[in-house]
Formats: sequence, C-alpha cells, structure tokens
Amino acid sequence: MLYVELLAQGLVQGSIYALVAVGLTLVYGLLRILHVAHAGLFTLGGYVGVLVTNATGSLLLALLVAMVTVGIVGMAIYRLCYQPILDKPPYVALIASIGLFIAMEEIYRLVFGPYGISFENPPLQDVVQMFGVTLRLGEVATAAGTLLLVGALAVFSGKTRFGTAWRATVTDPAMAESFGIDIIKVRYLNFFIGSAFAASAGVMVALLNNMVEPTMGSVPSYKALAIIVLRGLGDVRGTLVAALALGVIEAFGTIYLGKFLDRDAIAFAFLILVLMVRPQGLFGRA
Amino acid sequence: MSITKQMMAALAITGSLISTAVLADTVKIGMNVPLTGFAAADGKSALLGAELAIEQANAEGGINGTQIELIQYDDLASPKEAVPIANRLISQDEVVVAISGSYSGSTRAAAGIFQSEGVPYVSAYAVHPDITKSGDYVFRTSFVGEVQGRAGAKLIGEMLGKKRVVVITLQNDFGQSLAAGFKEKAADYGIEIISEYEYSIKDRQFGPIVTKVKADQPDAIYASGYFFTAGPLVNQLRSAGIDVPVIGQEGYDSDKFIEIAGPTSEGVLITTSLDRDSTVAETQEFIKAFEKKAGYNADMVAASGHTAAKVVIEAMRKAGTTDRAAIRDAIAQTNLVASTGTISFNGLGEVKKDVQIQIVKDGAWHHFAVIDDKDLLAPPEE
Repeated sequence: MLYVELLAQGLVQGSIYALVAVGLTLVYGLLRILHVAHAGLFTLGGYVGVLVTNATGSLLLALLVAMVTVGIVGMAIYRLCYQPILDKPPYVALIASIGLFIAMEEIYRLVFGPYGISFENPPLQDVVQMFGVTLRLGEVATAAGTLLLVGALAVFSGKTRFGTAWRATVTDPAMAESFGIDIIKVRYLNFFIGSAFAASAGVMVALLNNMVEPTMGSVPSYKALAIIVLRGLGDVRGTLVAALALGVIEAFGTIYLGKFLDRDAIAFAFLILVLMVRPQGLFGRA
Repeated sequence: MSITKQMMAALAITGSLISTAVLADTVKIGMNVPLTGFAAADGKSALLGAELAIEQANAEGGINGTQIELIQYDDLASPKEAVPIANRLISQDEVVVAISGSYSGSTRAAAGIFQSEGVPYVSAYAVHPDITKSGDYVFRTSFVGEVQGRAGAKLIGEMLGKKRVVVITLQNDFGQSLAAGFKEKAADYGIEIISEYEYSIKDRQFGPIVTKVKADQPDAIYASGYFFTAGPLVNQLRSAGIDVPVIGQEGYDSDKFIEIAGPTSEGVLITTSLDRDSTVAETQEFIKAFEKKAGYNADMVAASGHTAAKVVIEAMRKAGTTDRAAIRDAIAQTNLVASTGTISFNGLGEVKKDVQIQIVKDGAWHHFAVIDDKDLLAPPEE
C-alpha cells in the first residue's frame, strides 16, 4: 500500500510540474526562448489565488481570476521584454528572462511582504479515501485539474482552426505567415495560455502548502527547464508523461535515496541519466 | 584679510568643528542582516528587534550620554555578501562593535573578519558551531543547535515519555546540528529512532515523507525546520491522520507558523528562547514594545536581535570607552536579564541560558515548560 500511496503523491507533484512545464514548452517551441521568468508568473498566480479566495471565499473564482490576470501579464512580458530583442542571439533573451525573474521575486517581497501569505480558511483540506489511498481533496483537485487543462489544450491545438494555425506557426513561422496566419496573434495567445497554466499551478501549490511566498518559483524555474529537456525540446504530448515520471521518481527517491541525494539532485541525476542514454530526450527522434 | 573673509574663515572653522562634534557624538553598532532573498522575513524581525533595543537605550541616554547609531547592510544571508559588508563596517563606517541578524553561512564568513580586525561581534540567532570558534571577539546569544537538540530529546523521552521517534531533518547546518544533539542524548532517555528522513530548505511538499511516516507509526516526531517549511509539514502530517506529538525548535517560533498550519498547529511543541507567558518584566516589556513598533507579534528572532543589541550596549556602557578590547572583555563578563532570559557566556563565547518549551494552544504560542538542566544544556567549551 505504501508504494501505491507514494505513486499517488508522485503523480500529484508531477501534475504541478506538468502545468508549469507546458507553458515553457509552448514558449520554447514558438520563439526558442528559455522563459525563466515563467516561474515568476507561477508565483503571481499563487498570490492572486490566495488574495481573491480570501476576499470572495470562492476558490474557483480565484482560479479563474488568477489565470486571466497572469495570462495578461504573460502577454505583457512578451510585448515589453521579449519582442524588442527577438532578433538578438538567444542568450540575450535568456539573460533578460533571468533578470526579470529576480526582479519579480523582489517585487512580490516589497508588495506582499517577506513572510508570504496564507488562506484564511484553507479550502479543500478534507481527506478522501480512493482505492485504498488517502489523499487530501486539494491533491485530488490538483491531479484532476491538470488532466482537464492539459486535455483541453490537446483538443484546442488538435481540433480547432486556431490550433492548426498555432501548430503551423511552431513548425515553420515563415511558411505559416505566407499562408496568411497572423503569427503575432499566435504569439500572444501562446503566452496567454502558457502563463494561465502556470497561474493555475501556482494556485494549486498555494492550496497544497497553504502558503505563497516571494521565492516560491525558484524550484519550478529550473525543474520545469529540466522537464522540457527530458521531453525532447519541441512537442507538447510528452510533457505530461515526463513531468509525471519526474514526480514519481522524486517521490520514491525522497524516501529511498533521501540520505544521499536531495529531491532536486534526484531530479537532475535522472535528467543526466536520460540524456546519456537518449541525447534527443525521452520522446525526441534521433 | 577683509572682515568678510575673516568672518567666512571663522564660520568655516566653527562649521567644521560642529560637524566633527556631531559625527563624534554617536557610537556606531554595525549589523549584517538579510533584508531581501529567502531569509528576508527573519531579517526583518531581527533588525526591528535590534532597532528597538537601540531606541530604548538612546531614550535612556545612550552610552553614558552618547547616542547610538545602527548601521545595517543587507547580506541576503549569503557568505559572499557578508564578507565585503564586514570589511565596509570596519574600515568605512568604523563601527565599534557589530551584531549579526543573519543565518549561519553569512555570520560564519563575517565572524572571521571581525575577529581578525579585533571588532567584537555578537551573533543573534545563527546556530553553526564554527561561528564562535572564529576567536575570542565572537559571541553568540542563541543556543547552538546541539544544545537545543539535547533539550528536544529530554522533552520527548522524559517529559512526554514517548519512545519510538521519527526524525525529520532539514538539510542545512541548523537541521543537522539539531539532529546531532538529539541523537547524542536520545538513548539516555530511552528513545528509539525508528527512521530518519531529510528534506531541502526549498521543499514545501512532503507527500512522500508523510506517507512513509504514517507507515512507520511512531509515538512522536522530531522535525527540524523553519516556520515556512514546518508549517506545510505539520499541516500535511495532520491531514494524513498522523496525530502523534510533533516537536520542533526555535525555527518554528513565529505566528506565521500557526497561520500556515492553521488549526493543525494545535499541540505542536518547540524548544526556543522566548517565553510569551514570561512573568519577567524585561520579557513582557519587550513583547509589548516590539508589537507596538513592528505591528506584529514578537518571535524568537526578534527577541534574539533585541538581546544581541542589548548585550553589546550594556558592555559598552560598562566599559565606558570605545576601546574594542575593553568592550570585548565587558561582553565576556555579561550577566544580563534580556528578553530571551538571563544571559552569560562561557569561555568560547557561547550563551548560557534556559531552554523554553512553548506549545500552540488556541492559536497562539504559550508556556509549556522550562528546561534548566545545566549539564544537559552546557554549550561546547572549545
């Protein structure tokens, strides 16, 4: 039973990684920018989620407000930070992104205080028994929410006209533009969806920890980068699998390897191992 | 020389005399404290605590009539920031003494510099054993981790009578020295450590550890951490239905812990330096004055910042000079009632005081017990 419970915990953790990594994947796929500041948007999502829940008492409303607000902030970051330097070498955008991430952490500290904030009445704290596994409702909601969001994204990108345009732009921006696709609009949409996903992950982590703090994004910032490398830089389908796999490996690793390696070391040892065997990533083509 | 020129010259001389007089009119205390970065919350409490001590001392006439000035720099709790700060405090600001309101890494780095320049340096709440080993100019007003760990063993094994214990350790010098002290004395109190887990300071989600602890079925849990790790940890332990006592330390010591863990914080016990229900006037006054100044309740870090500043102020008053060697000697002779208890130092500069046990009751920290066993709490001498 212990193994099943550990598996469940790993899947919950992996869901959160997946939500953050999807946004990074989208940005990398489209613009070849390693968007480190994405983790800052994850934190912002947590803050908006807690503040709106405390003000209105509705977690669902808070989740929606967080996703829309952070989505808009994500678009603003593209317009103000990345667009002016798109013609520069990739490391310019990377440096800008890292700078922005550090600035965001300090802005949160100045605006919301260094201590972090918590829910006044933490929602979804009840415990449920499912298939012999004990989980908090918040954990179930996290896993279910992730499946729902990633599923919706798959349908959107696969079945709608806008999704087709999007995929075409990712594959070959110049060709897509010559077919009349507004690639600027696609970029905005890209940042909106990716950022909204990060915001939803932020709200879920706030729920699981009952705390949002300025430096909350520091772990997802590099772990999500590891996941998009694992998946083989370039497509969306494998992100969920890679993120869930990492979550499960960490869950077991924390218990059985925790004496020698901490959680982050386990994640990166796994990354190095995968890249040694499959340099193109778990799902990349050689 | 015309009269105007003479007057100008006279004015200039007087002016410079006045400004020199103003400059010489304060005694400077230096402080390195994290005001940004991950330790900013503790840094804020430590700084406000030290500021309070200085305001109180200045209201009573400062150091024998001379006002005290606090010069502080943000060290981000990082050793590489702390080194230039220590140098600047000594050579540029010419502080007479300094205190640390920071964590072990930066305090340890700065301590060596203050020692080599012969500037007395008092660490408010950093726990690493090497800090005071820097030399005879370095003191500490908080317990080393080992001492608190030993107190934790007595609390669990003897006072609570719990024998099968799980140890959850934060992977840094704070957590590891606590665990070392706990394990050193565990057997003496009949404690069997049935399993041990470690986590990183960045962890907030303890799902796998909680799952395993549940399977271990311990009588009690000894978990090191800070309020921002312990809050989520306790919440997750209790949510999983684990209701055995959780014993923490001064890192939990903040109202923020109770806010994060919510009702699940009830009954959590910690070993710490601040007794909220103390009947000692000094402690009561501190708690009231801090709340008025800061706008939030005092915690261990605030009290420690206040205590460290008070120790150096009292020593400067007693020494009656700005001679650093004389002030060092006065600090070594300290016997002072401070907000964290009655303070004196051993030969290494480690504090000798009682350990306070606090419990969360009705959403606030309260008195549970005091450990005053001098042998058990003896700090390291070398």
